[in-house]
Amino acid sequence: MSEPEAELDFELAKQQLTEFSARGGALVSGVADVDDFAAAPEGFRPQDLLPGAKRVFVVGGSPPRAGDWVSPKHEHQETMGTSDRINSLGLKAAKFIEASFGYYALFVPPGVNKGNQPFLSVALAAELAGCASPSLAGPLLHPKHGMLYYSAIVTTCPLPIDGRAEPACPAPACLDMWEAEGTTPCMKVCPIDDGGCLGGDIVEGRFANRRYNTARCATRVHTHWVPGFQKGLEAALDEEDPEKRKMILYSSFFTRTLWSMTYASQSQAQCYECMRVCPVGAEERTLR
Amino acid sequence: MSFFFVEPEIYKKYKDEVIALSDSVQVNFQEHLPPEKRRRGHSDREIAEKLGLDERTVREIRVVAERDTYDLEEWEKAIEFKDKACRAFARHGISYVFKYRDELK
Repeated sequence: MSEPEAELDFELAKQQLTEFSARGGALVSGVADVDDFAAAPEGFRPQDLLPGAKRVFVVGGSPPRAGDWVSPKHEHQETMGTSDRINSLGLKAAKFIEASFGYYALFVPPGVNKGNQPFLSVALAAELAGCASPSLAGPLLHPKHGMLYYSAIVTTCPLPIDGRAEPACPAPACLDMWEAEGTTPCMKVCPIDDGGCLGGDIVEGRFANRRYNTARCATRVHTHWVPGFQKGLEAALDEEDPEKRKMILYSSFFTRTLWSMTYASQSQAQCYECMRVCPVGAEERTLR
Repeated sequence: MSFFFVEPEIYKKYKDEVIALSDSVQVNFQEHLPPEKRRRGHSDREIAEKLGLDERTVREIRVVAERDTYDLEEWEKAIEFKDKACRAFARHGISYVFKYRDELK
């Protein structure tokens, strides 16, 4: 590791990093100040991962294709995870920072740390870096691209900081729907009081009183992944009849779950229904 | 047993409190408020301090409780929900949430 050059032009460095990321496929990128992560619990801040951390660089992109969104088979997107592409770019950006600028750069692993929790909230990092803004449904929304995947790199390089993005949620169409029906597209598809995951209000043009059923969302987002595997295995272990146990272990549910786990090198979202109906970014998902 | 796990009695005693305090129940966390003003869930360490338990015990209680909330039937419902919603969107586009609500039933 070379000594950081005292005369490094940080504005230029950020420009080079932004261009490098765009060439690699990033649709958006930004820089957050580590001091803004004070709201995160201790143990989930950038400084907990990298001593001396000053910034978090975030890249976003690799959303599902328009064709993926209109397929009538929900199993298609369950199997077509594209988040790994942005993580590949994040790792390259970390290498670029270290090789080009001489500062430490730590790629935040996309997997989970102990306790089934992330090393760092990449969503919070992306928000603080101005890449996108929170939504009632949960995923961050970019005003043009809608839902994107994000990757975060913690660095000691004091790159110039970006401000936070303007809210993209609720969209004008959602405000109209709220006035007419008292709900929004995401809440109508997945209503928390009717077997779904999402609830909330629109107050003075902003979403408020948000409710989110994390546990039910897990059954939909990770139907055929680690949670589904654990539930299926539990059912098999509880079954005393060996013939019935075989039916469980060889079943379509259990088999598909095992295949999904082997396809994915990392956590793979398996429910997109709240985002499928989101007006933000819908133009980019609508083709001929 | 060669790895750490909590006794079922301890789990049953504390699971509701742990889940209620944790990030598993999100209320107002993602509103358009400055991060320092959001009501985030407590970390395992913070819950441990509140309940007088150690952090590792809280972590194990939370992780088990998150998976224990719904039985396997909810996974079947998830498949049915996604199938209907996805097919309705494919037929009608985004308008299905406005005009074709019955197809979700």
